[in-house]
Amino acid sequence: MNQTILQFLKRYDFSFLGSMSAIFLVGVLNLYSATHSQQHEGLDSLYKSQMIWFGISLSVAVAISFLNPKTIERFSYVAYIGTLFLIFLVLLMGKVGMGAQRWLVIGPLRMQPSEFMKMGLVLALARYFTKVYPERELGFKELIFPGIITMVPAVMVIVQPDLGTGMLLLFIFAMMIFYKRLKWKTIMTLGIISLVSGVLMYNFGLKEYQRKRIHTFIDPYEDAKGSGYNAIQSEIAIGSGRLFGKGFKNSSQASLNYLPENHTDFVFAIFNEEHGFFGSVFLVILYIVFFMRMVWLASSVQRFYDSVLVVGIMSIFFWHTFINMSMVSGLLPIVGIPLPLMSYGGSSMLTFGVGVGIATSISNTRNFFN
Amino acid sequence: MFGEEELVKIHKDRATLISYIITAAFGLVLARLWYLQVYKGETLHNYSIQNRLRKEVVWAPRGLIYSRDDQLLVDNIPRFDAILTPQFLIDKEETLNKLSGILSLERASIDGVLKKNSNQAKYRPIIIKKNISFGELAQIESQNAELPGVSVDTFISREYRDKEVGAHLLGYISEISQIQLPKLRERDRLDYRLGDFIGQFGIEEQLDRYLRGENGHEFVEVDARGRRKRYINTDNLFKGIEDEKPLSGMNVKLTIDRDMQIAAYEALEGRVGGVIALDVESGQVLAMVSRPSFDPSQFSRGLSPDYWRSLVNNKEHPLRDRNIQEHFSPGSTFKAITGIAAFENGAIDERTEVNCGGSFRLGSRVYHCWKKEGHGATSLVKAIRESCNVYFQKAAFRMDIDEIAKYAKAFGMGARTGISLPREVSGLIPTKDWKRKRFGQEWQPGETLSCSIGQSYVLSSTIQLATAYAAIANGGKIFRPYVVKDVYDDQGELVKTFHPELLSKIEMKNPKTLQLVREGLFQVMNNPKGTAFARRGPGIMMAGKTGTSQVKTASADKVYQKCDLMDYESRHHGLFVGFAPYDNPKIATAVIIEHGCSGSGAAAPVAEKVVTQYMKKYQPEMYLENLEKDKLIKDNWVKTLKAEVPKAKPTATE
Repeated sequence: MNQTILQFLKRYDFSFLGSMSAIFLVGVLNLYSATHSQQHEGLDSLYKSQMIWFGISLSVAVAISFLNPKTIERFSYVAYIGTLFLIFLVLLMGKVGMGAQRWLVIGPLRMQPSEFMKMGLVLALARYFTKVYPERELGFKELIFPGIITMVPAVMVIVQPDLGTGMLLLFIFAMMIFYKRLKWKTIMTLGIISLVSGVLMYNFGLKEYQRKRIHTFIDPYEDAKGSGYNAIQSEIAIGSGRLFGKGFKNSSQASLNYLPENHTDFVFAIFNEEHGFFGSVFLVILYIVFFMRMVWLASSVQRFYDSVLVVGIMSIFFWHTFINMSMVSGLLPIVGIPLPLMSYGGSSMLTFGVGVGIATSISNTRNFFN
Repeated sequence: MFGEEELVKIHKDRATLISYIITAAFGLVLARLWYLQVYKGETLHNYSIQNRLRKEVVWAPRGLIYSRDDQLLVDNIPRFDAILTPQFLIDKEETLNKLSGILSLERASIDGVLKKNSNQAKYRPIIIKKNISFGELAQIESQNAELPGVSVDTFISREYRDKEVGAHLLGYISEISQIQLPKLRERDRLDYRLGDFIGQFGIEEQLDRYLRGENGHEFVEVDARGRRKRYINTDNLFKGIEDEKPLSGMNVKLTIDRDMQIAAYEALEGRVGGVIALDVESGQVLAMVSRPSFDPSQFSRGLSPDYWRSLVNNKEHPLRDRNIQEHFSPGSTFKAITGIAAFENGAIDERTEVNCGGSFRLGSRVYHCWKKEGHGATSLVKAIRESCNVYFQKAAFRMDIDEIAKYAKAFGMGARTGISLPREVSGLIPTKDWKRKRFGQEWQPGETLSCSIGQSYVLSSTIQLATAYAAIANGGKIFRPYVVKDVYDDQGELVKTFHPELLSKIEMKNPKTLQLVREGLFQVMNNPKGTAFARRGPGIMMAGKTGTSQVKTASADKVYQKCDLMDYESRHHGLFVGFAPYDNPKIATAVIIEHGCSGSGAAAPVAEKVVTQYMKKYQPEMYLENLEKDKLIKDNWVKTLKAEVPKAKPTATE
């Protein structure tokens, strides 16, 4: 009996759960530090609900890790259609927050279905790519159906309006087709098309505040007290951390409220302010380890579905991480993309738990059934 | 068909490429972080400090002002203003409504204040209400969280203990206005800022550089809404940033006596005029009061427009100091100078007797003496005692105006005394040259006659008259009057002492000149025939001279009788100048009562009260001795009076 447990523990892949926990630990400490002085805004207890969400997400991850990936494969489309339905519900009756319709309230729960949509899309695409000509390089013709699968939720999310998440769905799609051997020629063509459509979109498709964000990105100091304020304060927070940071709980930008949204989108700026460049290198390495382990897993599995799925999951978190870090440090315009495990938010955490659970399950299958 | 494992294998290249993409992406992020944190780290760190540090002015406590007997005259007290910073308003309506409730101000008036200041930068605080009460202060402080943008500004207000008493001397401080700013910066070469307080009048103005001190500054930590943080983070936020403590202003001790000031102020009750008292042997100003007056505290508390209007529109000009900023015809008080000039010049001597028949004819013009029937045979002493116009006119006729002017100027008239107070007037002693330059006309002998009795062109201020009479009393020493005795730093260390400044010593050719003039002045008050006999006070042994200063030109005797019946505006000014005690002069004083009609009726009583206060306080022994001497003098004049009665009037000879 003991032998079996020992065998099990030996073969169980703890790396994803471990990575998740490590990043969460840094995240929750940072969240506490960012919000501890904001009693009057009622933010100082956020870290507690974040911990509860982590507990739930970790449990979900562990539970999913015991599922057979084949079961997951079977439910791929169901998950996709289910999350799409939720997005549809949001459009019908969602709660408006920050000028956009993003939330779905069921009893005491507030959900952001667009978070789950990412997972649903990844599952559906993985399923599709493994069933239809899995060996073929992709050209335009092969992109039509997966393109539709992606564009339907993307458009629905964009009209919420949540441009960030909508674009994120497209980026996830992009990374998955890249993995699924999109022809280089097609990549070039697509690049040109997206450039042209980007310009068209800017001129005709964006709302005023979204356009403003791009302006602000190009020159935040043009409107330092208005739309450029966040970008500037974020850079100040990061830069003022210098090499070693100001120390735990010493972020003045957060505690004095110069940097708004410091518990969600801008947590990374606060982390930089308090722990400096070296702290950030440490954190970035934690993320890289997690992503590289995923990429390694994608090439080490026996089933192609598992491989594509792992790349998809990895791409969700990679894009989140990269876009958030880039926007906070002024490399990209500010769009509302949270930093996985660091930003406050239950839906995002839960999605991460699901992803980690699936990855662990896939990794375990490799060990247990070999 | 490929097997599942082969499918995975053929995608391995892309997996590797993806791992490169990840590496490159995070490499980019780290490069950006390096750029921000290392390359621009210092700059951005400074930004973050500037973000949360606000440099606040710490006002230097202004120096205190004490009287010569160490009584506090001017003090500082804390004051609170409710201020609002528009930038930090969140819900403007709500905040303003709350504020209007707390401060019991109409919403409209708050809106008015905001509108008036709407053109300035949003981060600049606007004063909503000055001088809020402790209750209002407590409410604002306790509701701080619900009143974003509202705060309380604390600073020190200037408090003048005796309010209107001596306001012209002490002066006031007020904020530097937009108009003054460039001028003052130019004048003092100091980086004044709008809203800085500066002495604008009197001692406060003149000694501003001593009293002012130097404002310091401190850095306080504020949050994004500009609210001051109570708990400062433990990191080295304040490293390398130095607060600067304010340097307290220096304390000033005046030569002024507070009790004499109050006595003088009270003596001037209901009058328009001024009184000044000098220490005879040093030129120290013992008292200097002008009425109507104003409350200088009002200026440092932010003058209300109503109060300002009431000052400016007042026909009696309460802001003008009657002692140094106004000059008048000295009238008969000038006769002492004419007498000295004539005596020294040799135009008259102690044996000279002038017959006063009530008038003096020059050409077609008749110059009347105030006494219609005339004074008869008149000596210098009698002429002074009874203020005989004809005597001095005849004496002046034997000299000329330049000779009189020479002595008048020697006694400090016709020029600023140079007292260290702003905006002193110079007065005027006319000469032939002066008239030629001024009017392009030759001097008329008749003008000499008018000038000899202190009318016509002659103008003096009370400070000049007091200085001149002090010189008569002390044997010809002209001291520059001064009001500041010592300057101390805030630790009580003596920084500077002002010493008496002897401007000149007038050498008298005839040793009897001053003696006889003094005798005459003494008799003015201590001889039943003296013009101010009724105003001799007990224990002061005062010598002095009354005078009237014509406001409207008319021959003196005609209007004199009717003065009380004339319109107020046309009535003569009443003057009195004197010194005391006669046999050991300590104090000289000059009084002007505008439209007071007569020197003896209006001005002399004021002098008597001020001098009595001085004698009782500073020369109590002498005061008691004088009371005894008063009896002797009384016996003496009672005897003379009795002896004189049966005698026939002496025939007048010249």
